[in-house]
Amino acid sequence: MWSICGRYQLGREEIDDVGQTVWLLLVEKIGSLREPAALPGWLATTTQRECLRVLQAARRHGRAELPPEDQMPPDPDARMIEEELLAAERDAAVRAAFDELPPGCRELLSMLVSDPPRAYADISAALGMQIGSIGPTRARCLDRLRRSPRVAAIAGAKAGSTRVKQAGGGRK
Amino acid sequence: MTDAWDDEELLAVLRHALSSHRAVPAEFVEAGRNAFAWHDIDGELAQLTYDSVSGPDLVTGTRSEPATVRSLTFTSPQLTIELEVTADSLLGQIVPTQVATIEVHTQAGPETVISSDEIGCFLIHPMPRNPFRLRCQTATGVDVLTSWITL
Repeated sequence: MWSICGRYQLGREEIDDVGQTVWLLLVEKIGSLREPAALPGWLATTTQRECLRVLQAARRHGRAELPPEDQMPPDPDARMIEEELLAAERDAAVRAAFDELPPGCRELLSMLVSDPPRAYADISAALGMQIGSIGPTRARCLDRLRRSPRVAAIAGAKAGSTRVKQAGGGRK
Repeated sequence: MTDAWDDEELLAVLRHALSSHRAVPAEFVEAGRNAFAWHDIDGELAQLTYDSVSGPDLVTGTRSEPATVRSLTFTSPQLTIELEVTADSLLGQIVPTQVATIEVHTQAGPETVISSDEIGCFLIHPMPRNPFRLRCQTATGVDVLTSWITL
């Protein structure tokens, strides 16, 4: 939900508005949702619809600070929903697998993916680990992560990894 | 395993997974949990059946001319609630016309309680904070709750 709102460049207050409305709609509809697997799609689609509604309301009130329309994702944008769902599923699986790694691996990998990146010398000092062993430990920890059943189960989603690389640095 | 991520790809995936999770404020998640506190309110649901500003263009994203007075209708099998949105208040009428207790519910819970007059009219002032819903209870025991309204 958060990341779909981000695509529409909504302000924090508007995102909260969308979030509240979507949760409340869910509470209303939850009795009629029969298929648990359909829930993520329902949430994503409803979030997108609410984003559009909020933007429309803002335009009606003549708000000038909104991004121009040609910078908006086109709508209805089924592909965007699909991408967000895949990304959310992949992120959740990778996070769950990461949480199951030994503490040492979690610490090292967290530092390796930190933004801004941290130098090996810095990591070495923080973790009390020799610089020469960071590389091999990194490889061993990544291998554990890769072999986790949760991550292996989404290996088919590898096609999306190029996009992750492009989008990864820019995300807040 | 030719499809598996190599080290650099896996790090990129992990970076995205951890940062996208951190980006979501705790209050945003908390608001979702709080919403479920409303799950157990009894009362028949009155659905939005008419909105003067929406129509099909609400979905397609084309601009609509602002209506002079926005009107909304909520319908349940036993009761209809009609609302007119003015600059700073809401004018309402219950059909069939009768005296009823109207509660304004916001996310924080029930806030204002007012009564409709004998022809079912009521005035809510000032405008409730979005989103809100109205609960309408009549002397005859009808208990109706509108869907959530965001103006």
